[in-house]
Amino acid sequence: MGWILRRIAISLLLIWVVSSIVFLAIHLVPGDPAEVLLSLGGSAPDADSVAALRAQLGLDQPILTQYLHSLSHFVVGDLGDSLSDGTPVMSEALRRLPRTLELIGAAALISTAAGVPAGVAAAVNRGGPLGRCFSALSGLALSTPVFVVGSLLVMIFAQWLRLAPAGGYVAFGEDPLRHLLLLSMPAATIALGLWAQIFRMTRSSLLDVLQRDFIRTARAKGLREHAVIMRHALRNALAPILTVLALNVGSLLGGTVLVEYIFNWPGLSGALVEAVNNRDYPMVVGCIVIISTLFVSLNLLVDIAYGLLDPRVRAR
Amino acid sequence: MRRFPWVSASAVAFLVILALLAPYLALPDPTRMDLAGRFAAPHASHLLGQDEYGRDVLSRLVWGARVSLSVSLGAALLAAVVGVTLGVIGGYLRGGAEFVTLRLTDILLCFPPMLLALLIVTLFGPGARTLIPVLAIVYAPSFARVAYAGALTIRSLDYVTAIEALGAGRPRIMARTILPNIAGPVLVQFSLAVAASMVLEAGLSFLGLGVTPPAPSWGLMIGAARATMSQAPQLLLWPCAALTAAILSINALCDGLRDYVDPQPAARRPTRLADRTAPGLAAPPSRDTVLSLRGLSVAIDTPRGAIQPVRDVSFDIKAGETLALVGESGSGKSLTGLALMGLLPPAARVEAGRAWLDGIEVLDSAPDIVRGLRGDRVAMIFQDPMSSLNPVHRVGDQIAEVILAHRDVGAADARSRAVALLRQVGVPDPPRRAAAYPHEMSGGMCQRVMIGMAVANGPRLLIADEPTTALDVTVQAQVLTLMSDLKRETGVALLFITHNLPVVAEIADRVVVLYAGQVVEQGDAAETFAHPRHPYTKALLGSAPREEGPPPEGIPGSVPSPGELPSGCCFAPRCAMRLAACERPPPLVEIGGGRTSRCIRWSEM
Repeated sequence: MGWILRRIAISLLLIWVVSSIVFLAIHLVPGDPAEVLLSLGGSAPDADSVAALRAQLGLDQPILTQYLHSLSHFVVGDLGDSLSDGTPVMSEALRRLPRTLELIGAAALISTAAGVPAGVAAAVNRGGPLGRCFSALSGLALSTPVFVVGSLLVMIFAQWLRLAPAGGYVAFGEDPLRHLLLLSMPAATIALGLWAQIFRMTRSSLLDVLQRDFIRTARAKGLREHAVIMRHALRNALAPILTVLALNVGSLLGGTVLVEYIFNWPGLSGALVEAVNNRDYPMVVGCIVIISTLFVSLNLLVDIAYGLLDPRVRAR
Repeated sequence: MRRFPWVSASAVAFLVILALLAPYLALPDPTRMDLAGRFAAPHASHLLGQDEYGRDVLSRLVWGARVSLSVSLGAALLAAVVGVTLGVIGGYLRGGAEFVTLRLTDILLCFPPMLLALLIVTLFGPGARTLIPVLAIVYAPSFARVAYAGALTIRSLDYVTAIEALGAGRPRIMARTILPNIAGPVLVQFSLAVAASMVLEAGLSFLGLGVTPPAPSWGLMIGAARATMSQAPQLLLWPCAALTAAILSINALCDGLRDYVDPQPAARRPTRLADRTAPGLAAPPSRDTVLSLRGLSVAIDTPRGAIQPVRDVSFDIKAGETLALVGESGSGKSLTGLALMGLLPPAARVEAGRAWLDGIEVLDSAPDIVRGLRGDRVAMIFQDPMSSLNPVHRVGDQIAEVILAHRDVGAADARSRAVALLRQVGVPDPPRRAAAYPHEMSGGMCQRVMIGMAVANGPRLLIADEPTTALDVTVQAQVLTLMSDLKRETGVALLFITHNLPVVAEIADRVVVLYAGQVVEQGDAAETFAHPRHPYTKALLGSAPREEGPPPEGIPGSVPSPGELPSGCCFAPRCAMRLAACERPPPLVEIGGGRTSRCIRWSEM
């Protein structure tokens, strides 16, 4: 159990550093947030309202006081209030977070379910037509930005074929079928690029493992090729595939920003874009801290999964 | 070395030239509006038509390439300079610089790129000016990592140490030695960063947070066209196609560069020859012969043509007999064993020969028939037991697996037989050890597990490929004793592949000596060792370490590589007894007492 605790401690440390950096970035950058905020309309703000807003945001306090203040609130889960509508950032974020997670989860599920078998097929029939076809497809998928995929999907499936709505959100409890229908396009959009990554990693990782001595042993046992691949090769190839999945969660979370915007999916990333547009500092900081925390936690989960997959990691 | 990726390189070059020439291309002003020409179809003055403000689409595409490329190239360049500097300093100077570099990149990598970009855009506001530093901060960590790893490797190379000893200054070493050496990976990283920045720039512009209108940008064009996609789908398709094509060609260039800079030999697909010549086939062997091998030749296709590491090898093994296959490394002994198992590596193939195991042909049979024999009638143990066991499965399960693959028994039954086998091969506390993973056991214990696995189904033939080479000397003796005991108890025929002659003298009944893929001498082990009838065998015996007598002498010269075999006797160049007649290939001749030799002067020895 020691190794799990050590990794948890490292992750907590990283989260602390990340949130401190976000805090510092906001405060050390030239230009007063209050002034920037009030000058959005174009006219120069008057000094009184700037001072009032500074007081409201606590910007008149010394920076260390502000930092300790935000940190102590952050620890108990208080990320301040949104500037645009005054709702607590935490409750708004927690309301939206599950929707973003659902999107990512669905995309990860689709891309893994399609990417791992495709990668296995391409590795086993090396140089075959199927593998070449998948490789070309993955090259195209990796080169198509997520918002291009999303826009094209909207045009094809919503505008031309009228198979699915162009976007929106309905809670699962209200109308499960419509919820899944609305989920399908944004999830597929994110899944395409991830599929290509998982496909490539599965293929190369499996090709690598198939060279190892223990695969020769498995063959020497007279196992069927299916058992050699599934029981002996794939499980040893899974660790790099998991890493790819984890490393991509970063770009996935970034991808959700664009995808939620395109499909009007009311998730956390969509809120972030809106907050950036409105210069809603507490909301921006809150969203970034939460998403980065999520990112770090996912990496932590992957580390733990590594240990469960490969007993040698636990010993280290 | 792979070919330079010309196709993708020219595509990228075309893009760059187009972007550079944009002002000189007699295109309409990309920002000039013409409300009368809104959504106009393509015609002579507007080759791709006009957009929702009547602006020329082609011109906006070309100028968009200029914006996109200048932002992404600028960002990648800045990221490369910052990242490589940090990485090289960290990797070369170590200490505090290393700590700062690594932790800084760790922290920056905690932010997903898009989020980091959004955070910075929030602080500094949108616009092409902000974008370049923003993207540079996002992508600098990956450069730092690549440069750090490269610098770390190169720092420890001998010639860097040598230059250091000659008194070259540190900045000079970093700039002159390390930089050129990490250029390859950095170049690859650079094209990756250009493609990634291009995507991120377009994404931010798409959201309205990147390039500000009315400047032409592919991301902006895509974002704007979404509103009018039902009226004018082409306005969406053109920039999408341009962006995807640009990124596709950069990615292809990047993949090509990676192969070019760091070539990996491409393994060939396994091929199975339908027709093989089988010269001089003997009649199927007699009953107590477990294995009969006739005329085995193995070929490996290399870029310089096929080579034959095993040529015309024949031998028989009887039940309960131990045949030692002896030779230096590269003599073809391991390939012979693998060929018998049907486990040749993908690049190698059986070119000729037949082998009967218990009367069943194994070299030319369907793969499924051979697979059914493996682990059942014929089993093999390998040199390195630690890497030959699967690290993620318990050893008991790995033994049970081979029983389940060939016997119709339940899982629980197979597991209890696995425990019994562990006891039989001398593993202490078998029930507990069955639940252990290979990395929790010593090399000797792992080899015992491998042996247990091999004898699990009572094979007729056991092929052992240097089974003791990777083990400690004391453990070697134990494993040899175990194999002798098993042979006595079960009557299994043993093909023992080794270069270790003392081991052969101890365990083998008969010996086959291989040199450069050919059998040079074959016969009873004791007699062959007492009176070798081939100069190579004699030299091999002379070079083996022994307890008494004169110290071992090496054999002058080295084994010829399979691509450059002498036309006559392969051993002649190293042989003290060679004659002019040795320029012709000598035949393998019977010399009485069931022995054969491939030396024309065997009787003089």
